[in-house]
Amino acid sequence: MIYVKNLYKSYGKLEVLKGIDCHIREKEVVVVIGPSGSGKSTFLRCLNKLEEPTKGEITVDGIVLNSEANVNVIRREVGMVFQRFNLFPHMTALQNVVLAPEIVRKTKKAEAEKIGLELLAKVGLSDKAGEYPDRLSGGQQQRVAIARALAMKPKIMLFDETTSALDPEMVGEVLAVMKDLAREGMTMVVVTHEMGFAREVGDRVIFMDEGIIMEEGEPNQVFEHPKNPRTQAFLSKIL
Amino acid sequence: MEMNWKAAIDSIPILNKAALLTLELTAGAIAIGVVIALFMALARLSKKRILRAVAITYIDFFRGTPLLVQIFLVYFLVPRLLNWDTLPENYQYFAGVLAMGLNSGAYIAEIFRAGIQSIDRGQSEAARSLGMSHSQSMRYVILPQAFKRVIPPLGNEFIALLKDSSLLSIIAIQELFYSGKIIAGRTFQPIPMYIAVALYYLLMTQLISQWVAYMERRLGKNDLR
Repeated sequence: MIYVKNLYKSYGKLEVLKGIDCHIREKEVVVVIGPSGSGKSTFLRCLNKLEEPTKGEITVDGIVLNSEANVNVIRREVGMVFQRFNLFPHMTALQNVVLAPEIVRKTKKAEAEKIGLELLAKVGLSDKAGEYPDRLSGGQQQRVAIARALAMKPKIMLFDETTSALDPEMVGEVLAVMKDLAREGMTMVVVTHEMGFAREVGDRVIFMDEGIIMEEGEPNQVFEHPKNPRTQAFLSKIL
Repeated sequence: MEMNWKAAIDSIPILNKAALLTLELTAGAIAIGVVIALFMALARLSKKRILRAVAITYIDFFRGTPLLVQIFLVYFLVPRLLNWDTLPENYQYFAGVLAMGLNSGAYIAEIFRAGIQSIDRGQSEAARSLGMSHSQSMRYVILPQAFKRVIPPLGNEFIALLKDSSLLSIIAIQELFYSGKIIAGRTFQPIPMYIAVALYYLLMTQLISQWVAYMERRLGKNDLR
């Protein structure tokens, strides 16, 4: 579903990604872990071209990301959820969810709202459809953001540290929604510090450090028997 | 000479008319200015170097030269460019509003640009990640938020513009200041007349202030931060 070949990304002299190769299969849940500054968020943001790679090729759903037109097509199929929610503050929860289907997919308003309400129900926020984001808690905002991304009926979902900006008591409600999605067979790439989630939901864990993939494998194998000394050091600090 | 308020009081109907004209001139200039400014602000932020260069040149010129000079320049240049042999009736109003509109376009463009740039990058990233094009993201996500933020500086600009419209007296537009000056000269009562003129301007700028405050309250209701 996603093929990444020899991906490099630099900001000026700073090399953030130094040659990433990776293949993400349909319905797979891939969890990317690693210390801050290891390039995991940059890697994720390259997958829908929010970052322009310096070098390398990315193919998503059979389409090579090499032109503006291609990128806009692919972004419809790839949902993204951000660390800081990025809800549109001038719109209600429901308006946030229906905007892109209406103007990008040209879905009729009534139809879009019906789907929007279903999605808000799915993330447990039926009663908040008319609220503006600043009336919602962090966890609620993030769940609206997930509903907003799902409204485009994406084939792939990218999660960029979606629980890192949340108060601890709200992490669970967001992870629960993500778990449901995984169970339904969504293809997901998840950058997270939630090791419990990685272990429970992930089909594969990728450990990144210093801009390369240091180790990857099934969660049990990576967490219980890490081969790379870097992985061992990282896990010993956080587990 | 004795100060006499009668002349000022007698001239109220004329001043009312002149003040109305001042408001109309200002409104016309604002309409032109806002449209120009929107294009210039977007051009200024464009990825295309040529668009940026056009916007920067425009803004530098109209901010960097006196409005008074611009008024004359437009007044004399337009008939020349359009090859008019005789000036149409009331041409001065057209030239005056155009000059002020061009001038305010430069200032408002910078206000819009600051407003657009003040919106968190995450907003356009979220919009783009949903498949919206650059222009869709501007139209539905960035500009509505930016507009709310630029209302206070926009109010400043409108007030400045209203006061600067007095410069149009130089091309014989009978707006508030021009009318006051004529009556002051005719009645030999400059002090009461200019006090009256000042009060008219104050009243009108107050109206703009109130309107700005109202807009801020109205648009701010879903934005508690």
